Amino acid sequence: MTEQISALLDDEIALEDAEHLMAGMQANGHGAEVWSQYHLIGDVMRGANALSPSFKEDLMAKIDLEPTVLSPNAAWMNEPKVFNETNALDEVSNKKQALEAKSKSFATNLPVVWSIAASCAAVMVVGWMVLQTQVGNQAAPTMVAQATPPQEVATLPVTNEQGVPVEYLMAHQASAPSASSYYIQSASYTE
Amino acid sequence: MKGFVLACLLASALSNTSQRVLAASDDDKWQILQKAALAAHALSYQGIFVCQSGQQSKSVQIKHFFDGQNEFARNVLLDGSPREVLSQGSDLIIYNPKNEKIVIEKRRGQNMFPAVLPANLAAVKQSYTLRTGDIERIAGRSAQILFLEPKDDLRYSYRFWIDTEYGLILKSVMFNGRNEMMDSISFTQLNLVNTVDLDWFKPKIDSKKNYVMEDEPPAQADYNPSPHWMLKELPAGYRKVDQMLRTVHGKPLPVTHVVFSDGLASVSLFIEPVTNGVKPRAGHSVVGNTSFYSTVAGYLQITVLGEVPEATVAAIANSVVFVK
Repeated sequence: MTEQISALLDDEIALEDAEHLMAGMQANGHGAEVWSQYHLIGDVMRGANALSPSFKEDLMAKIDLEPTVLSPNAAWMNEPKVFNETNALDEVSNKKQALEAKSKSFATNLPVVWSIAASCAAVMVVGWMVLQTQVGNQAAPTMVAQATPPQEVATLPVTNEQGVPVEYLMAHQASAPSASSYYIQSASYTE
Repeated sequence: MKGFVLACLLASALSNTSQRVLAASDDDKWQILQKAALAAHALSYQGIFVCQSGQQSKSVQIKHFFDGQNEFARNVLLDGSPREVLSQGSDLIIYNPKNEKIVIEKRRGQNMFPAVLPANLAAVKQSYTLRTGDIERIAGRSAQILFLEPKDDLRYSYRFWIDTEYGLILKSVMFNGRNEMMDSISFTQLNLVNTVDLDWFKPKIDSKKNYVMEDEPPAQADYNPSPHWMLKELPAGYRKVDQMLRTVHGKPLPVTHVVFSDGLASVSLFIEPVTNGVKPRAGHSVVGNTSFYSTVAGYLQITVLGEVPEATVAAIANSVVFVK
Protein backbone atom coordinates (compact mmCIF):
# COMPACT_ATOMS: atom_id res chain seq x y z
CA MET A 1 0.00 0.00 0.00
CA THR A 2 2.85 2.35 0.89
CA GLU A 3 4.40 1.82 -2.54
CA GLN A 4 1.08 2.52 -4.20
CA ILE A 5 0.60 5.75 -2.27
CA SER A 6 4.09 6.80 -3.32
CA ALA A 7 3.30 5.93 -6.93
CA LEU A 8 0.07 7.92 -6.79
CA LEU A 9 2.00 10.95 -5.51
CA ASP A 10 4.49 10.60 -8.35
CA ASP A 11 1.65 10.48 -10.90
CA GLU A 12 2.50 6.91 -11.76
CA ILE A 13 -1.05 5.80 -11.00
CA ALA A 14 -3.89 7.58 -12.77
CA LEU A 15 -6.42 9.23 -10.49
CA GLU A 16 -9.25 7.15 -11.99
CA ASP A 17 -7.44 3.97 -11.02
CA ALA A 18 -6.79 5.08 -7.48
CA GLU A 19 -10.26 4.83 -6.02
CA HIS A 20 -9.45 1.70 -4.07
CA LEU A 21 -6.39 3.45 -2.69
CA MET A 22 -8.39 6.47 -1.57
CA ALA A 23 -10.91 4.20 0.11
CA GLY A 24 -8.06 2.27 1.69
CA MET A 25 -6.50 5.42 3.05
CA GLN A 26 -9.78 6.59 4.48
CA ALA A 27 -10.36 3.29 6.19
CA ASN A 28 -6.80 2.84 7.36
CA GLY A 29 -5.21 5.39 9.69
CA HIS A 30 -1.68 4.37 8.76
CA GLY A 31 -2.33 4.92 5.06
CA ALA A 32 -3.63 8.43 5.72
CA GLU A 33 -0.55 9.14 7.81
CA VAL A 34 1.77 7.94 5.06
CA TRP A 35 -0.12 10.10 2.58
CA SER A 36 0.32 13.25 4.67
CA GLN A 37 3.95 12.48 5.49
CA TYR A 38 4.83 11.98 1.82
CA HIS A 39 3.23 15.32 1.13
CA LEU A 40 5.25 16.94 3.90
CA ILE A 41 8.46 15.48 2.49
CA GLY A 42 7.53 16.65 -1.01
CA ASP A 43 6.69 20.14 0.23
CA VAL A 44 10.02 20.43 1.98
CA MET A 45 11.89 19.22 -1.10
CA ARG A 46 10.14 21.82 -3.22
CA GLY A 47 10.92 24.49 -0.65
CA ALA A 48 7.26 25.14 0.18
CA ASN A 49 6.56 26.14 3.75
CA ALA A 50 5.69 22.92 5.46
CA LEU A 51 3.11 22.72 8.19
CA SER A 52 3.74 20.51 11.16
CA PRO A 53 1.71 17.30 11.34
CA SER A 54 -0.09 18.64 14.39
CA PHE A 55 -0.83 21.96 12.69
CA LYS A 56 -4.58 21.52 12.84
CA GLU A 57 -4.58 20.59 16.52
CA ASP A 58 -2.15 23.40 17.35
CA LEU A 59 -4.21 25.92 15.47
CA MET A 60 -7.48 24.85 17.07
CA ALA A 61 -5.90 24.90 20.50
CA LYS A 62 -4.57 28.40 19.83
CA ILE A 63 -7.85 29.73 18.51
CA ASP A 64 -9.40 28.48 21.73
CA LEU A 65 -6.67 30.13 23.75
CA GLU A 66 -6.73 33.50 22.15
CA PRO A 67 -9.82 35.31 23.46
CA THR A 68 -9.11 34.08 26.98
CA VAL A 69 -5.51 35.25 26.82
CA LEU A 70 -6.60 38.77 25.97
CA SER A 71 -8.92 39.06 28.98
CA PRO A 72 -7.36 40.88 31.95
CA ASN A 73 -7.55 37.78 34.09
CA ALA A 74 -4.81 35.50 32.84
CA ALA A 75 -4.34 33.68 36.11
CA TRP A 76 -4.45 30.24 34.61
CA MET A 77 -1.98 31.25 31.90
CA ASN A 78 0.46 32.06 34.66
CA GLU A 79 0.23 28.60 36.09
CA PRO A 80 3.41 26.87 34.98
CA LYS A 81 1.37 23.80 34.14
CA VAL A 82 2.44 22.04 30.97
CA PHE A 83 -0.44 20.33 29.33
CA ASN A 84 -0.30 17.33 27.13
CA GLU A 85 -1.04 18.13 23.54
CA THR A 86 -3.46 15.30 22.93
CA ASN A 87 -5.88 16.47 25.58
CA ALA A 88 -4.98 20.15 25.29
CA LEU A 89 -8.32 20.93 23.70
CA ASP A 90 -10.31 19.33 26.50
CA GLU A 91 -8.16 20.87 29.16
CA VAL A 92 -8.39 24.29 27.63
CA SER A 93 -12.16 24.19 27.44
CA ASN A 94 -12.42 22.89 31.01
CA LYS A 95 -10.11 25.64 32.16
CA LYS A 96 -12.13 28.17 30.29
CA GLN A 97 -15.31 27.16 32.04
CA ALA A 98 -13.63 27.21 35.40
CA LEU A 99 -12.08 30.54 34.59
CA GLU A 100 -15.33 32.11 33.51
CA ALA A 101 -16.88 31.10 36.82
CA LYS A 102 -13.90 32.37 38.75
CA SER A 103 -13.41 35.60 36.84
CA LYS A 104 -16.73 37.02 38.06
CA SER A 105 -15.56 36.93 41.66
CA PHE A 106 -11.92 37.86 40.85
CA ALA A 107 -12.52 40.67 38.42
CA THR A 108 -13.72 43.10 41.07
CA ASN A 109 -11.06 42.55 43.72
CA LEU A 110 -7.93 42.04 41.64
CA PRO A 111 -5.20 44.60 42.30
CA VAL A 112 -4.28 46.79 39.32
CA VAL A 113 -0.77 45.34 39.19
CA TRP A 114 -2.21 41.93 38.52
CA SER A 115 -4.17 43.02 35.52
CA ILE A 116 -1.08 44.74 34.13
CA ALA A 117 0.94 41.58 34.66
CA ALA A 118 -1.79 39.62 32.98
CA SER A 119 -1.88 41.86 29.93
CA CYS A 120 1.92 41.73 29.69
CA ALA A 121 1.73 37.97 29.73
CA ALA A 122 -0.99 38.11 27.10
CA VAL A 123 1.05 40.41 24.87
CA MET A 124 4.03 38.11 25.26
CA VAL A 125 2.02 35.06 24.33
CA VAL A 126 0.50 36.74 21.28
CA GLY A 127 3.93 38.06 20.29
CA TRP A 128 5.34 34.59 20.58
CA MET A 129 2.64 33.17 18.39
CA VAL A 130 3.46 35.70 15.70
CA LEU A 131 7.20 35.10 15.98
CA GLN A 132 6.82 31.36 15.83
CA THR A 133 6.72 30.84 12.08
CA GLN A 134 7.06 27.11 12.19
CA VAL A 135 5.25 25.52 15.06
CA GLY A 136 6.52 22.16 16.14
CA ASN A 137 4.93 19.56 18.35
CA GLN A 138 6.20 21.07 21.57
CA ALA A 139 5.01 24.56 20.68
CA ALA A 140 2.07 24.78 23.06
CA PRO A 141 3.98 23.95 26.26
CA THR A 142 6.82 26.27 25.23
CA MET A 143 4.52 29.22 24.90
CA VAL A 144 2.91 28.60 28.24
CA ALA A 145 6.37 28.49 29.77
CA GLN A 146 7.16 31.86 28.20
CA ALA A 147 4.22 33.40 29.98
CA THR A 148 5.31 32.34 33.47
CA PRO A 149 5.83 35.30 35.80
CA PRO A 150 9.39 36.67 36.06
CA GLN A 151 9.70 35.83 39.76
CA GLU A 152 10.00 32.17 38.75
CA VAL A 153 13.62 31.06 38.72
CA ALA A 154 14.83 31.00 35.10
CA THR A 155 16.00 27.57 34.04
CA LEU A 156 19.70 27.53 33.30
CA PRO A 157 20.86 26.29 29.92
CA VAL A 158 22.34 22.82 29.79
CA THR A 159 26.11 22.87 29.99
CA ASN A 160 28.54 20.07 29.38
CA GLU A 161 31.30 19.05 31.76
CA GLN A 162 33.44 22.03 30.72
CA GLY A 163 30.66 24.47 31.55
CA VAL A 164 30.14 25.32 27.91
CA PRO A 165 26.51 25.91 26.95
CA VAL A 166 25.50 23.14 24.57
CA GLU A 167 22.97 25.45 22.90
CA TYR A 168 25.81 27.68 21.72
CA LEU A 169 27.69 24.76 20.20
CA MET A 170 24.57 23.80 18.29
CA ALA A 171 23.94 27.38 17.17
CA HIS A 172 27.54 27.61 15.97
CA GLN A 173 27.19 24.37 14.02
CA ALA A 174 23.93 25.56 12.47
CA SER A 175 25.32 28.88 11.25
CA ALA A 176 28.99 28.13 10.69
CA PRO A 177 29.35 24.39 10.19
CA SER A 178 32.72 22.78 9.55
CA ALA A 179 32.78 20.19 6.76
CA SER A 180 32.75 17.25 9.18
CA SER A 181 30.14 18.66 11.56
CA TYR A 182 27.38 17.66 9.14
CA TYR A 183 28.18 14.04 9.89
CA ILE A 184 30.02 13.95 13.21
CA GLN A 185 28.65 15.66 16.27
CA SER A 186 30.51 15.68 19.52
CA ALA A 187 28.94 13.28 22.03
CA SER A 188 28.20 16.11 24.44
CA TYR A 189 25.53 17.58 22.25
CA THR A 190 23.86 14.69 20.56
CA GLU A 191 20.46 13.98 22.01
CA MET B 1 25.00 31.99 -18.36
CA LYS B 2 26.50 31.38 -14.96
CA GLY B 3 26.92 27.74 -15.91
CA PHE B 4 28.65 28.68 -19.12
CA VAL B 5 31.14 30.92 -17.32
CA LEU B 6 31.80 28.13 -14.80
CA ALA B 7 32.36 25.64 -17.57
CA CYS B 8 34.79 27.99 -19.35
CA LEU B 9 36.70 28.64 -16.15
CA LEU B 10 36.84 24.96 -15.46
CA ALA B 11 38.02 24.18 -18.98
CA SER B 12 40.81 26.73 -18.73
CA ALA B 13 41.71 25.45 -15.27
CA LEU B 14 41.80 21.89 -16.57
CA SER B 15 44.13 22.75 -19.43
CA ASN B 16 46.32 24.50 -16.90
CA THR B 17 46.95 21.40 -14.82
CA SER B 18 47.70 19.24 -17.80
CA GLN B 19 50.67 21.53 -18.39
CA ARG B 20 51.52 21.53 -14.70
CA VAL B 21 55.22 21.57 -14.06
CA LEU B 22 56.99 20.42 -10.90
CA ALA B 23 58.29 23.83 -9.93
CA ALA B 24 54.93 25.55 -10.10
CA SER B 25 54.93 29.30 -9.65
CA ASP B 26 52.91 30.80 -6.80
CA ASP B 27 50.11 31.75 -9.18
CA ASP B 28 49.93 28.21 -10.54
CA LYS B 29 49.54 26.74 -7.07
CA TRP B 30 46.68 29.08 -6.25
CA GLN B 31 45.22 28.23 -9.63
CA ILE B 32 45.05 24.55 -8.64
CA LEU B 33 43.25 25.49 -5.44
CA GLN B 34 40.92 27.83 -7.32
CA LYS B 35 40.09 25.07 -9.72
CA ALA B 36 39.42 22.69 -6.81
CA ALA B 37 36.98 25.22 -5.35
CA LEU B 38 35.19 25.35 -8.69
CA ALA B 39 35.30 21.65 -9.58
CA ALA B 40 33.42 20.68 -6.41
CA HIS B 41 30.43 22.72 -7.63
CA ALA B 42 30.68 22.33 -11.41
CA LEU B 43 31.32 18.59 -11.79
CA SER B 44 28.87 15.73 -11.43
CA TYR B 45 30.27 12.92 -9.32
CA GLN B 46 29.44 10.19 -6.87
CA GLY B 47 31.44 8.28 -4.34
CA ILE B 48 32.04 7.50 -0.71
CA PHE B 49 34.13 9.54 1.69
CA VAL B 50 35.18 8.97 5.29
CA CYS B 51 35.00 11.70 7.90
CA GLN B 52 37.22 11.49 10.94
CA SER B 53 37.10 13.82 13.88
CA GLY B 54 38.43 13.03 17.33
CA GLN B 55 37.57 9.41 18.15
CA GLN B 56 34.75 9.23 15.64
CA SER B 57 34.74 8.15 12.04
CA LYS B 58 31.78 8.02 9.65
CA SER B 59 31.37 6.96 6.02
CA VAL B 60 29.21 9.10 3.78
CA GLN B 61 27.82 8.35 0.36
CA ILE B 62 27.67 11.39 -1.90
CA LYS B 63 26.06 12.07 -5.23
CA HIS B 64 26.52 15.52 -6.69
CA PHE B 65 24.97 16.75 -9.92
CA PHE B 66 25.43 20.03 -11.78
CA ASP B 67 23.13 20.60 -14.75
CA GLY B 68 24.93 23.73 -15.97
CA GLN B 69 22.77 25.95 -13.80
CA ASN B 70 21.79 24.28 -10.57
CA GLU B 71 23.55 22.02 -8.11
CA PHE B 72 21.93 19.04 -6.46
CA ALA B 73 23.56 16.80 -3.89
CA ARG B 74 22.49 13.95 -1.67
CA ASN B 75 24.71 12.85 1.18
CA VAL B 76 23.78 9.77 3.19
CA LEU B 77 25.51 8.73 6.37
CA LEU B 78 26.37 5.03 5.99
CA ASP B 79 27.43 4.38 9.60
CA GLY B 80 25.18 4.74 12.61
CA SER B 81 21.86 6.50 12.29
CA PRO B 82 21.02 7.11 8.61
CA ARG B 83 21.07 10.90 8.55
CA GLU B 84 20.62 12.39 5.08
CA VAL B 85 21.61 15.81 3.83
CA LEU B 86 20.00 16.99 0.59
CA SER B 87 21.19 20.24 -0.90
CA GLN B 88 20.03 22.33 -3.78
CA GLY B 89 22.43 25.21 -4.29
CA SER B 90 22.99 26.54 -0.79
CA ASP B 91 19.61 25.37 0.54
CA LEU B 92 20.03 22.38 2.72
CA ILE B 93 17.53 19.92 4.14
CA ILE B 94 18.71 17.50 6.79
CA TYR B 95 16.70 14.38 7.63
CA ASN B 96 17.87 13.58 11.10
CA PRO B 97 16.56 10.40 12.77
CA LYS B 98 15.96 11.00 16.46
CA ASN B 99 14.42 8.16 18.44
CA GLU B 100 11.08 7.32 16.82
CA LYS B 101 10.97 10.47 14.71
CA ILE B 102 12.76 11.89 11.72
CA VAL B 103 13.40 15.56 12.29
CA ILE B 104 13.56 17.73 9.20
CA GLU B 105 15.99 20.62 9.57
CA LYS B 106 16.45 23.43 7.05
CA ARG B 107 19.78 25.22 6.82
CA ARG B 108 21.77 27.53 4.62
CA GLY B 109 24.57 25.29 3.48
CA GLN B 110 28.23 26.06 3.05
CA ASN B 111 31.55 24.23 2.91
CA MET B 112 30.09 20.74 2.47
CA PHE B 113 32.88 18.38 1.47
CA PRO B 114 34.39 18.42 -1.16
CA ALA B 115 33.22 22.03 -1.63
CA VAL B 116 35.15 23.19 1.42
CA LEU B 117 36.85 26.15 -0.27
CA PRO B 118 35.22 29.54 -0.83
CA ALA B 119 34.75 30.62 -4.46
CA ASN B 120 36.79 33.73 -3.75
CA LEU B 121 40.19 32.84 -2.34
CA ALA B 122 41.31 36.45 -1.75
CA ALA B 123 40.72 36.25 2.02
CA VAL B 124 42.46 32.86 2.21
CA LYS B 125 45.47 34.23 0.27
CA GLN B 126 45.77 37.02 2.81
CA SER B 127 46.13 34.72 5.81
CA TYR B 128 47.72 31.55 4.43
CA THR B 129 50.65 30.56 2.25
CA LEU B 130 50.46 27.70 -0.22
CA ARG B 131 53.11 25.17 -1.15
CA THR B 132 53.00 22.03 -3.26
CA GLY B 133 54.00 18.57 -2.09
CA ASP B 134 54.29 15.14 -3.65
CA ILE B 135 51.86 13.25 -5.81
CA GLU B 136 50.03 10.55 -3.81
CA ARG B 137 47.37 7.99 -4.54
CA ILE B 138 43.96 8.56 -2.89
CA ALA B 139 40.83 6.49 -3.64
CA GLY B 140 42.64 4.87 -6.54
CA ARG B 141 43.38 8.23 -8.13
CA SER B 142 46.47 10.35 -8.47
CA ALA B 143 46.50 13.44 -6.25
CA GLN B 144 48.69 16.51 -5.88
CA ILE B 145 49.32 17.50 -2.26
CA LEU B 146 48.95 21.18 -1.39
CA PHE B 147 49.98 22.59 2.00
CA LEU B 148 47.94 25.59 3.10
CA GLU B 149 49.84 27.06 6.03
CA PRO B 150 48.80 29.99 8.24
CA LYS B 151 50.95 33.12 8.28
CA ASP B 152 50.35 33.48 12.06
CA ASP B 153 49.12 31.34 14.97
CA LEU B 154 45.51 32.53 14.76
CA ARG B 155 44.37 29.63 12.56
CA TYR B 156 45.09 25.98 11.83
CA SER B 157 46.83 24.56 8.79
CA TYR B 158 45.29 22.41 6.07
CA ARG B 159 46.53 19.81 3.67
CA PHE B 160 44.62 19.09 0.48
CA TRP B 161 45.01 16.20 -1.93
CA ILE B 162 43.78 17.39 -5.35
CA ASP B 163 42.82 14.99 -8.14
CA THR B 164 45.32 15.64 -10.93
CA GLU B 165 42.71 14.86 -13.59
CA TYR B 166 39.38 16.12 -12.22
CA GLY B 167 40.80 18.92 -10.08
CA LEU B 168 38.51 17.85 -7.23
CA ILE B 169 39.61 17.75 -3.57
CA LEU B 170 40.02 14.07 -2.75
CA LYS B 171 41.17 14.56 0.80
CA SER B 172 41.30 17.42 3.26
CA VAL B 173 43.03 17.34 6.65
CA MET B 174 43.22 20.05 9.31
CA PHE B 175 46.22 20.21 11.67
CA ASN B 176 46.67 22.25 14.84
CA GLY B 177 49.79 24.24 15.80
CA ARG B 178 51.47 21.09 17.18
CA ASN B 179 50.91 19.36 13.85
CA GLU B 180 48.30 17.01 15.34
CA MET B 181 45.50 15.96 13.03
CA MET B 182 42.24 17.68 14.09
CA ASP B 183 39.96 16.27 11.45
CA SER B 184 40.15 14.56 8.11
CA ILE B 185 37.78 13.88 5.24
CA SER B 186 38.85 11.62 2.43
CA PHE B 187 37.23 9.95 -0.56
CA THR B 188 37.65 6.19 -0.62
CA GLN B 189 35.83 5.88 -3.91
CA LEU B 190 34.98 8.47 -6.55
CA ASN B 191 33.82 8.61 -10.13
CA LEU B 192 32.32 11.20 -12.43
CA VAL B 193 28.74 10.59 -13.52
CA ASN B 194 26.80 11.40 -16.62
CA THR B 195 23.24 11.60 -15.37
CA VAL B 196 20.46 13.83 -16.54
CA ASP B 197 17.62 12.54 -14.39
CA LEU B 198 17.05 13.53 -10.79
CA ASP B 199 15.32 10.34 -9.67
CA TRP B 200 17.88 9.87 -6.96
CA PHE B 201 17.36 13.35 -5.50
CA LYS B 202 14.97 12.37 -2.71
CA PRO B 203 15.37 11.00 0.78
CA LYS B 204 14.87 7.35 1.55
CA ILE B 205 11.55 7.31 3.34
CA ASP B 206 10.95 5.22 6.40
CA SER B 207 7.18 4.74 6.49
CA LYS B 208 7.30 3.51 10.08
CA LYS B 209 8.62 6.84 11.36
CA ASN B 210 7.02 10.21 11.88
CA TYR B 211 8.48 13.11 9.95
CA VAL B 212 8.40 16.41 11.83
CA MET B 213 9.91 19.84 11.26
CA GLU B 214 12.42 20.82 13.96
CA ASP B 215 10.69 23.00 16.51
CA GLU B 216 13.57 25.40 16.99
CA PRO B 217 12.52 28.92 16.00
CA PRO B 218 14.70 30.09 13.13
CA ALA B 219 17.25 32.82 13.80
CA GLN B 220 16.11 36.30 12.83
CA ALA B 221 18.07 39.10 11.25
CA ASP B 222 19.45 41.55 13.81
CA TYR B 223 18.37 45.07 12.86
CA ASN B 224 19.17 46.80 16.14
CA PRO B 225 20.81 50.07 15.01
CA SER B 226 22.36 50.90 18.39
CA PRO B 227 23.38 47.77 20.26
CA HIS B 228 25.09 48.06 23.63
CA TRP B 229 28.33 46.78 22.22
CA MET B 230 30.87 47.40 19.49
CA LEU B 231 33.88 45.56 18.11
CA LYS B 232 37.35 46.96 18.56
CA GLU B 233 40.20 45.49 16.58
CA LEU B 234 39.52 41.95 15.35
CA PRO B 235 42.31 39.36 15.04
CA ALA B 236 44.14 39.64 11.70
CA GLY B 237 42.31 38.17 8.71
CA TYR B 238 38.93 37.65 10.46
CA ARG B 239 35.88 39.49 9.15
CA LYS B 240 32.31 39.62 10.34
CA VAL B 241 30.22 37.58 7.87
CA ASP B 242 26.85 37.30 9.62
CA GLN B 243 24.84 38.65 12.52
CA MET B 244 21.51 37.41 13.86
CA LEU B 245 19.27 37.13 16.89
CA ARG B 246 18.77 33.67 18.29
CA THR B 247 16.32 32.28 20.77
CA VAL B 248 18.34 30.07 23.08
CA HIS B 249 16.72 27.53 25.38
CA GLY B 250 16.69 28.78 28.98
CA LYS B 251 17.45 32.40 28.06
CA PRO B 252 14.66 34.93 28.60
CA LEU B 253 15.86 37.25 25.83
CA PRO B 254 17.17 36.54 22.32
CA VAL B 255 20.95 36.28 22.13
CA THR B 256 23.01 38.15 19.53
CA HIS B 257 25.02 35.73 17.39
CA VAL B 258 27.84 37.13 15.23
CA VAL B 259 29.84 34.91 12.85
CA PHE B 260 33.42 35.68 11.76
CA SER B 261 35.50 33.95 9.12
CA ASP B 262 38.98 34.14 7.64
CA GLY B 263 37.72 32.40 4.48
CA LEU B 264 38.18 28.90 5.87
CA ALA B 265 37.78 28.89 9.66
CA SER B 266 34.62 30.18 11.34
CA VAL B 267 34.12 31.64 14.80
CA SER B 268 30.83 32.38 16.61
CA LEU B 269 30.39 35.22 19.09
CA PHE B 270 27.38 35.27 21.44
CA ILE B 271 26.39 38.41 23.34
CA GLU B 272 23.71 38.50 26.05
CA PRO B 273 23.04 40.60 29.15
CA VAL B 274 24.50 39.19 32.37
CA THR B 275 21.61 37.42 34.15
CA ASN B 276 20.82 38.62 37.67
CA GLY B 277 21.74 36.06 40.29
CA VAL B 278 23.76 33.94 37.85
CA LYS B 279 27.52 33.94 38.22
CA PRO B 280 28.96 35.19 34.91
CA ARG B 281 31.14 32.72 33.05
CA ALA B 282 34.79 33.54 32.43
CA GLY B 283 37.69 31.43 31.20
CA HIS B 284 38.60 29.16 28.34
CA SER B 285 38.36 25.50 27.45
CA VAL B 286 38.80 23.16 24.50
CA VAL B 287 36.36 20.38 23.61
CA GLY B 288 37.40 18.27 20.64
CA ASN B 289 38.37 20.69 17.88
CA THR B 290 36.41 23.57 19.33
CA SER B 291 37.95 26.33 21.47
CA PHE B 292 35.77 28.30 23.89
CA TYR B 293 36.33 31.58 25.65
CA SER B 294 33.96 33.42 27.98
CA THR B 295 34.36 36.86 29.45
CA VAL B 296 32.30 39.80 30.71
CA ALA B 297 32.20 43.26 29.12
CA GLY B 298 30.24 45.76 31.21
CA TYR B 299 26.80 44.19 31.68
CA LEU B 300 27.35 41.72 28.85
CA GLN B 301 28.23 38.05 28.96
CA ILE B 302 30.50 37.26 26.00
CA THR B 303 30.95 33.69 24.71
CA VAL B 304 33.15 32.86 21.71
CA LEU B 305 33.76 29.47 20.13
CA GLY B 306 35.12 28.01 16.93
CA GLU B 307 37.41 25.43 15.33
CA VAL B 308 40.38 27.78 15.75
CA PRO B 309 43.28 28.19 18.22
CA GLU B 310 42.49 29.54 21.70
CA ALA B 311 44.31 32.80 20.93
CA THR B 312 41.72 33.58 18.25
CA VAL B 313 38.60 33.04 20.37
CA ALA B 314 40.22 35.06 23.19
CA ALA B 315 41.10 37.93 20.80
CA ILE B 316 37.56 38.06 19.43
CA ALA B 317 36.01 37.94 22.93
CA ASN B 318 38.27 40.76 24.07
CA SER B 319 37.44 42.87 21.03
CA VAL B 320 33.87 43.36 22.31
CA VAL B 321 33.39 46.60 24.24
CA PHE B 322 30.30 47.57 26.19
CA VAL B 323 28.64 50.81 25.03
CA LYS B 324 26.12 52.58 27.28
